[in-house]
Amino acid sequence: MNAVLQFLAAHEPGQNHWLVLATVIFSIGIAGLLTRRNAVGILMAAELMLNSAALVFVIFNRFSAPSVDGQIMAIFIIAVAAAEAVIGMAIFVALFRYRQTIDVTQIALLRD
Amino acid sequence: MIASALTTVMFYTIAAGMTVLALAVIFSRKLLRAAIALMAVLMLTAGLYILLHAEFLAGVQVLVYIGGIVVLIVFAIMLTRSADLLEDHPTPKRMIVGSIAGLAMLFGSCCAIFAPRPISEQVITPVPDDVRAIGLKLLDYGPEGYVLPFELISLLLLGAAIGGIVIARKIPAPDQPFTSGGDEAGEVHFTRPLSQREEETK
Repeated sequence: MNAVLQFLAAHEPGQNHWLVLATVIFSIGIAGLLTRRNAVGILMAAELMLNSAALVFVIFNRFSAPSVDGQIMAIFIIAVAAAEAVIGMAIFVALFRYRQTIDVTQIALLRD
Repeated sequence: MIASALTTVMFYTIAAGMTVLALAVIFSRKLLRAAIALMAVLMLTAGLYILLHAEFLAGVQVLVYIGGIVVLIVFAIMLTRSADLLEDHPTPKRMIVGSIAGLAMLFGSCCAIFAPRPISEQVITPVPDDVRAIGLKLLDYGPEGYVLPFELISLLLLGAAIGGIVIARKIPAPDQPFTSGGDEAGEVHFTRPLSQREEETK
């Protein structure tokens, strides 16, 4: 029992472990951003990426600096993500009303 | 020692759960299910913030992300009828491009993370009174303060709220700026909703 505790205590995650976790979430967000066809799905993937970016700020704040600057940046990121979600939802609702779809492969007005 | 062991167990449990749920967010064929998975990912992130001694941020995360953004996304799914439509399977091309981009990002940043760099292994003790320090810093006028970004964010949120109302409005207000109704005379017709267009043509 004690040995298990000691093993676990010796393997406390360091900075790199935290950063790899945030990177994995960010990469999953990128993959989703490029694979999804529904615009709401794309918005969700973008939220994943924003979330992991905020996580990276907090990680560096914890491991590198004896201050709260990283946490303040994370608060700003959360506020920007909220604004983005509001605008995204408004655009999708308006788009759905005009085109009856929010499939991004169908919406290529500016490309054609 | 028990605290360190607990941190280790919590970190790896949350990390595994978060990865699986994030994959569910992007691969689930039902968007409502993906939204619930996203909510769980954000909740687990709040747990990570607590492990990182950022308790205030964990509270903000739950209030704003889970209470606000996820609810908005669920509304967007409902209002665009995406819940009943099963999303089409992505074409193989999209699937390949997406996976390659994701894996390339993962590989590139792992190279950057594990590259030799000055890394301080000793953990810095967190600032004792976190919330107080954050509040003072946010409203500090000095060179280290964040009062300008703070005010800009408030403007951004106001703009987002007004913009959201203007964009999603059913019928534009009579004198609403930035909605010309199109450059050509016939284009006014196409800026109307489909239902109104059908009524006119009848």
